[in-house]
Amino acid sequence: MYIVIAGAGRLGLVLAKKLNEDNHRICLIDKNESLCNKLAGELKGVMIIAGDATYPEILREAKLEKADVCVSAAATDEDNIIICHLAKELFGIKRTVARVNDPKHIPLYKYMEVDNPVDSTSIIARIVEEEASFTDVMSLLSIKKGRLSIVRVDIPEESPVANKSLKDIKLPPNSVLVSIIRGPDIIIPYGSTEILPGDEIIAATLIDVEKDLIKALIGKI
Amino acid sequence: MKYILIIGCGKSGKGLALDLSRSENVVVVDKSLRSLDTLGDDFNGKKIWADAMDTTTLEKAGVKEADIVFLLTGNDNLNLVVSKVVRRKYGVRQVILQVNDSTKEKIFQEEGLEIINRTSLMVEVLRGFIS
Repeated sequence: MYIVIAGAGRLGLVLAKKLNEDNHRICLIDKNESLCNKLAGELKGVMIIAGDATYPEILREAKLEKADVCVSAAATDEDNIIICHLAKELFGIKRTVARVNDPKHIPLYKYMEVDNPVDSTSIIARIVEEEASFTDVMSLLSIKKGRLSIVRVDIPEESPVANKSLKDIKLPPNSVLVSIIRGPDIIIPYGSTEILPGDEIIAATLIDVEKDLIKALIGKI
Repeated sequence: MKYILIIGCGKSGKGLALDLSRSENVVVVDKSLRSLDTLGDDFNGKKIWADAMDTTTLEKAGVKEADIVFLLTGNDNLNLVVSKVVRRKYGVRQVILQVNDSTKEKIFQEEGLEIINRTSLMVEVLRGFIS
């Protein structure tokens, strides 16, 4: 694929290196001329353009019209939105991805039709929350606007399902246990798999029965 | 009395706000408290110290009731993004924005948006002297 990345900050740079290693063709644009000169020496095979990517002539120089994806990782949200907007309107790019700097600006990204606004702050907050494990239950992912939810549940000692095999457990309909994390092992469960206290269970469930599933697994909500 | 929303309290924003607040209902939004303070005691309107890229700020400023919105921050890209949202999402009839780059001015031109370019305005005024 040909990928144009606007903004050579930490994210843009790591992304450019990674995608370049994966044999994609990359063009990296940044306003900072001395940074670009330095990168031109370091990043072999990556096209570097010094300029403001919110200007169409710079995007034209990057041959954006040939790109499969446009990634905007600039330091301000207004720049990201303008870049993605130009990519769509002037260059006919189907997939635009942007790094959201301030989650409060997400409505503007949505309104200006940026395809994938990636809210790094919220993603990191969720990971930190998960690592800190404030609760036995953690929502990992929601799909189809939240209708399908992937959750992680820690099985406590007093859990009604502890020390039982899967086939003897009654789960609510429209929910399924995807895997069991037990210490370093990841187990894909089947009927005779036994659930032990201390297991971390990854389950998929429709959102309306999520509470029932959690109740079935830990005995309370 | 018209309900007028001014985003950006730099030189132009401040001047306009002071002038209009004598006869109209004016709300000024800026992310810098110091800029809002420059309006002084003569300003007869409402000041909101907040980020205009946050739609809750726009709603708090009464964008839905606004007759006219002026976008006068020094940041072309911010003025452009917020103007589109104000125009299309909140349906404000008259949206006037300052864009200092002429290429962007042409690309983002659309019905209901009045783009003001400082340089072209100056050129026009200066041309007037040659007759």
